[in-house]
Amino acid sequence: MDTIDLKHHYSQQFNAELEDIRSRVLQMGGLVEQQLEMAIDALNRGESATAEMVVANDCRVNACDVDIDEQCTKILALRQPTASDLRLVLAVIRTTADLERIGDEAKRVARMAIRAAGGDHGRNLFGRIVHLGTLVQRMLHSVLDALARMDVEEAIQVAHEDVNIDREYESVMRQSMTYMMEDPRSIPCVLDLIWAARALERIGDRCCNISEYVIYFVKGRNVRHISLDEIRKEFG
Amino acid sequence: MNARSGLVQEIWRIAVLVLAAWAVGSLFDQTLLVLLLALLGYIARNLLNLQRLADWLGSQEAAGIPFHVGLWGDIYSRIARVSAHQAQRERRLTTLLNEYSASTSALPDATVALDTRGRIRWFNDAAIRLLGLQAAKDVGQPLSNLFRNPEAAEFIRRADYSQTLQTTSPGNSERKLEVRMAPYGEGQTLLLAQDVSERLRHETVRRDFVANVSHELRTPLTVLSGFIENLQADQSLQDQRLRRPIELMAQQSARMRQIVEDLLLLAKLEGESKQGKEQDIVVGGVLRLVADECRALGPKVAEIECDIRSTRRVLGDEKQLRSAVTNLVVNAIHHTPADGLITLVWEDRGENSLLEVSDDGEGIAAEHIPRLTERFYRVDNGRSRQRGGTGLGLAIVKHILKRHDATLEIKSQLGEGSRFICHFPASRLLG
Repeated sequence: MDTIDLKHHYSQQFNAELEDIRSRVLQMGGLVEQQLEMAIDALNRGESATAEMVVANDCRVNACDVDIDEQCTKILALRQPTASDLRLVLAVIRTTADLERIGDEAKRVARMAIRAAGGDHGRNLFGRIVHLGTLVQRMLHSVLDALARMDVEEAIQVAHEDVNIDREYESVMRQSMTYMMEDPRSIPCVLDLIWAARALERIGDRCCNISEYVIYFVKGRNVRHISLDEIRKEFG
Repeated sequence: MNARSGLVQEIWRIAVLVLAAWAVGSLFDQTLLVLLLALLGYIARNLLNLQRLADWLGSQEAAGIPFHVGLWGDIYSRIARVSAHQAQRERRLTTLLNEYSASTSALPDATVALDTRGRIRWFNDAAIRLLGLQAAKDVGQPLSNLFRNPEAAEFIRRADYSQTLQTTSPGNSERKLEVRMAPYGEGQTLLLAQDVSERLRHETVRRDFVANVSHELRTPLTVLSGFIENLQADQSLQDQRLRRPIELMAQQSARMRQIVEDLLLLAKLEGESKQGKEQDIVVGGVLRLVADECRALGPKVAEIECDIRSTRRVLGDEKQLRSAVTNLVVNAIHHTPADGLITLVWEDRGENSLLEVSDDGEGIAAEHIPRLTERFYRVDNGRSRQRGGTGLGLAIVKHILKRHDATLEIKSQLGEGSRFICHFPASRLLG
């Protein structure tokens, strides 16, 4: 197993800084996880109060983003890291950007939850979307675990999970279409729900990105834009 | 002393060797050369033995001590003895350690030992199940990297040993955990997480049951009391024997309605999530308002005084806070004679503030005080019911204060009156 060696520098300060940015990005991940959980919960129970909290809390996610970016810039400027240190900083910067976007998508889901809270249409569709949401939530959790443990196996597993999410998304879309054909009055509401489903599907893609950064950090290979099978052949 | 005899042996050997070499050397008239060769041979033997010792120590095999006499033999046998002793101690410690970790693994609560910087040093099997840790990989990792829930991470960072935190299990939001921390060793902490999903489920079921029952009772009660009111108002009912029963029926049905309302209020207080709409409450104003309302209750009410010494405001729900104060004041009125005095105080205590309702009435015996906030707990069954209490007032007060992060303290002595003190923390105060 590849261990994460963040203690190899003579400068204790540098070690601490590297460990600090990794912890910070995971803290941000925890916050985003909570945001997503609350957004899905709001959608599930039709509670607009929870959804409003998600919207209000998004600024905390953004603050984390800015904060971590600043730390990384400082490290790049002052320490000029090389090799795995450089890869760590790059992976952290990219992960932060993706987490921030996931936060935005969670906010979008919450907005849809507020709008849908009153409506009655497509109650069955809600169940499907919540199911999709649970899958995405689990995926986000595993990818952050993989990031914490720098675990390539788990990261590849997460990338594989995305296939299921795409399938679930497609079936939500099909069901939405039948609803709209059956009852044109439901179209505005169903359109909102499609937006929520779309946001969740995008979160799945962003989780895949994060898993690629984990592989990049550990293996030093850029696996973006490479198919899953090839990745697995190489590292699996 | 063994070593000394070895040393003596060794000296004897050198002496014999030197003598023999000298004897042989003088035979061939090459004394120096033979002496030199003999000494070289002696050094070679010692080097060989040193090499053997190094090999033997490297192989870690206690058995197969190369047999030797003299000083070398002593060294070998001593090392063998020390290592045998150590091996025995190691075995004993290993057994002890295994037993210890087996017993902690069997604990149903997740236990994680953290070092001074919050890194995981050790955890038990339940932590794998409840916190999603992985056996080999996660030692040395900061726990908050894996237990990422913002509240949990903050809780771990703060390491406040007096508090507990309710949160969800990482990766499984259905499972509710109660987390607490304890200091251990030097600067290290122990994190304990207990699965409380079942307990919370039971609590929810109980709460929902009470709320549903109360709600279902409301309608029949409304119908009953409506008819009773009609009967009371009915002038054609001349029979004087019916007057008293109808009056009692009216009283009791009003009381039942009050109980149902209080139960519903309690269920709502317990059930609602904490974050409601919060506003600035001018506590002084609330106290004066409640005092005015209560003075109007009747001529037999004791004197009520307001003593507002602080201008701080509280962040919270004004309606609830007023209901809490009203409950406290009405209680005080019930237990204070008409010539008594009830005082409402709002004052600062350092960073915190306190709201106090005190009276000089009959007081409460010490054994009742811890149980006063329980539902339907009565100090004296017959009497308080006569006075029209529902037995839920203090439970409501406690819950309202809890929602405002405040605590209720009750001080009382029989015959000397009672003091109900609500402590509001700095985090809830403004101004």
